[in-house]
Amino acid sequence: MSAVSFTGVTKSYKDGPKAVDDLTLNIADGEFMVLVGPSGCGKSTALRMIAGLEEISGGTLQIGDTVVNDIPPGDRDIAMVFQNYALYPHMTVRENIGFALTVARVSKDEIKRRTDEAAELLGLTEYVDRLPKALSGGQRQRVAMGRAIVRSPQVFLMDEPLSNLDAKLRVQMRSEIIELQARLGTTMVYVTHDQVEAMTMGHRVAVMRKGLLQQVAPPQELYLRPANLFVAAFIGSPAMNLLPARIDSVNGRITATFAEHTITIDQAAIDKYSKVPDYVGRDVVIGIRPEHFAMAEDTSDPAQTIEIKSVVSESMGSEVHVHATVDVPPVALDGQPVNEDADANASTTKIIARVEGFHIVRMGQIVRLAIKTAHVHFFDATTGAPLRDDDERTA
Amino acid sequence: MSVRRKGPRATMVRILTYGILVAVALVVIFPFVVAVSTSVKRNTDIFTYPPSLIPKKATTVPASDVGLTGENLPVYTLPGFDGSFALVDDDTPLAEFTALDDPTRVVVLAADQGDKTGDTTNIDGEEEDIFAIVVDGETILAYRSRLTVGGLFQSLDNAALQVPSLVNSAVAKQEFGPRFENFSEVVTEKKIGRSLTNTLLVTIIVVLGQILTSILGGYAFARIDFTGRSALFMLYLGSVMIPFVVLIIPLFQLMLQLNWRDNLVALIVPFTFTAYGTFLMRQFFVGVPKEIEEAALLDGASRWRILWQVMVPLARPAIATLATFGFLYAWNSFFWPLVIINSGNPDSFVLSLSLSTLGGRSSTDTNLVFAGAVIAMTPPIAVFLFAQRYFVENSASSGLK
Repeated sequence: MSAVSFTGVTKSYKDGPKAVDDLTLNIADGEFMVLVGPSGCGKSTALRMIAGLEEISGGTLQIGDTVVNDIPPGDRDIAMVFQNYALYPHMTVRENIGFALTVARVSKDEIKRRTDEAAELLGLTEYVDRLPKALSGGQRQRVAMGRAIVRSPQVFLMDEPLSNLDAKLRVQMRSEIIELQARLGTTMVYVTHDQVEAMTMGHRVAVMRKGLLQQVAPPQELYLRPANLFVAAFIGSPAMNLLPARIDSVNGRITATFAEHTITIDQAAIDKYSKVPDYVGRDVVIGIRPEHFAMAEDTSDPAQTIEIKSVVSESMGSEVHVHATVDVPPVALDGQPVNEDADANASTTKIIARVEGFHIVRMGQIVRLAIKTAHVHFFDATTGAPLRDDDERTA
Repeated sequence: MSVRRKGPRATMVRILTYGILVAVALVVIFPFVVAVSTSVKRNTDIFTYPPSLIPKKATTVPASDVGLTGENLPVYTLPGFDGSFALVDDDTPLAEFTALDDPTRVVVLAADQGDKTGDTTNIDGEEEDIFAIVVDGETILAYRSRLTVGGLFQSLDNAALQVPSLVNSAVAKQEFGPRFENFSEVVTEKKIGRSLTNTLLVTIIVVLGQILTSILGGYAFARIDFTGRSALFMLYLGSVMIPFVVLIIPLFQLMLQLNWRDNLVALIVPFTFTAYGTFLMRQFFVGVPKEIEEAALLDGASRWRILWQVMVPLARPAIATLATFGFLYAWNSFFWPLVIINSGNPDSFVLSLSLSTLGGRSSTDTNLVFAGAVIAMTPPIAVFLFAQRYFVENSASSGLK
């Protein structure tokens, strides 16, 4: 087991942007680190650099105390699980799991003992003599993991290992991987584009975008204190509602105005986002998590309530997702909407509110939504930085 | 499965389709049938009229059947007699009598038959004795128009019946009898055996060499990044477009320089490198997911080990395709051997060459020519039957799923 540390690591291709730009990230011994981000963000490249499958253009990469920049993959003592499992199709499960040991000239008895052990651990004992093509997706996934754990490597690397599984199996394997990592205590670097996986699995999560590290933090902190607009938009499902809004000060209270709606912001939010008063009279981006809406009641403060027309409502049983549109253009970052499926040229922004499941909301119905303004997030409209003092972009 | 149409019209169409297909198949297969049948015929049996596809041999009976000793006796039927006759003696003196009152009536009897009446008659200015002979119980007067030698035929049904007759007026009985000795004769007497060994040797080495060089080259083109790789690959591909005839003269000169004329090496070395095979293997290797190799790399395997323990086992279908094509090409190649094995030294002949000499203009042993052809034909047909799916299969995508 070993720590992994990136120091100013860069990966650039001949003609093209940097896939990974000046990445500095320390992964502790025994830590479960998740790298997450949209496709093309450089997370897989970072992982493959640890594996030695990609050359490092600049900076240093250490595994344990060793700088591994120039050490070939086979000598790094790491194991990797690939998205498509990359099992050797012509070898049985046992041969697949034992291949690394065979290459390392471990004795036959020892190989058998260790493959049996790994197969036992993963519940593959009855399949050891089958070929990969005779296994289900979940079983193949387990074989790929068996191939990794049988070597007791310094570090496990996993490259979207669950994305080829169906939803139910994915949930099951997710907890199996968490358990396995906890039991073995091996350092794990896990790449995914699925922020739910990232939130549920990682001790810490590193969010990347366009080769740049955005934030490294435990899942809850990512959620509660996003380091910038991108992290705010990326983490959470449904995503945070981000709206361009103007900050005003009315009778000493801060208000935010977007389209025809004006809400008064709770002081608790201003305490967290202490720079907000500096932005009075200016445009910012406000972020409201879907669960911070509620159906307005008679007791609700009208200053924290908006009336809006439901476009679609999805009942999840325990909750209802109310979709609506606000007449403001979608929030963009570097010319692209932060919400991946929004249309950059649209003049309206879709918002989603999560309200309790007993409400019945019909299409086209006007609903009154109360906003828990204590939980509103504020970001600079041009830089995307949060409007608070303790800016912690680096980890 | 496609849905089959039903109804009388569809049935008619199907019958017609199969009818045409069967007819075409028969036409195509006919030369093979002729070759196979001729290869087991006796040489005398080939140009008989009417021609027959069935190889025949003369029917014989053991000499002991007619109370004699010695070799088996051929069996005939005689015009005017029922049953079969064994030719017990083919050196019997015979006499041919012509009836006095009917010059068209000619009777053949044993030379000592017929009683001289003492009278004579004048035939074309010659005095001929007149004989009284008995034909079918009737006594007629005739003169002896010819003395000759013929056969004595013993009836197989009636021990008392012996018929002297001209052999060429008897009809030999034949029965089904393939002559497999043709094959051993062509192998030993016509030196096909040596050619067969040569061909086997050349083919096996060429195929193994092609597989080896194609695997190495294909892998390098598919996975190893070296300067000028794509240019070299284009060059390789381009060479596939060059017809072989264009290469014959330079290749011949090269062989002369190397002093490889009349040497089997000249049939092997130039053909162990194949752009086509390299291309085939490259296409296959490119299709293997990169992750499989990366996984092996992480498992600590060297490139060499990855190639032989991971990639090559996966490439078995492609290798089988390559081997099949290589085998057929090497086995059937004729023109290059004809050019380079040219001093008439049959020790370096390959089958295709031997066959061409065997079947030359002055050839008389047609059956042996065909026997040699059948020997040459069998291995490719066998290979094709076993490996035909590799001809059809899309070689690059198989084996992974």
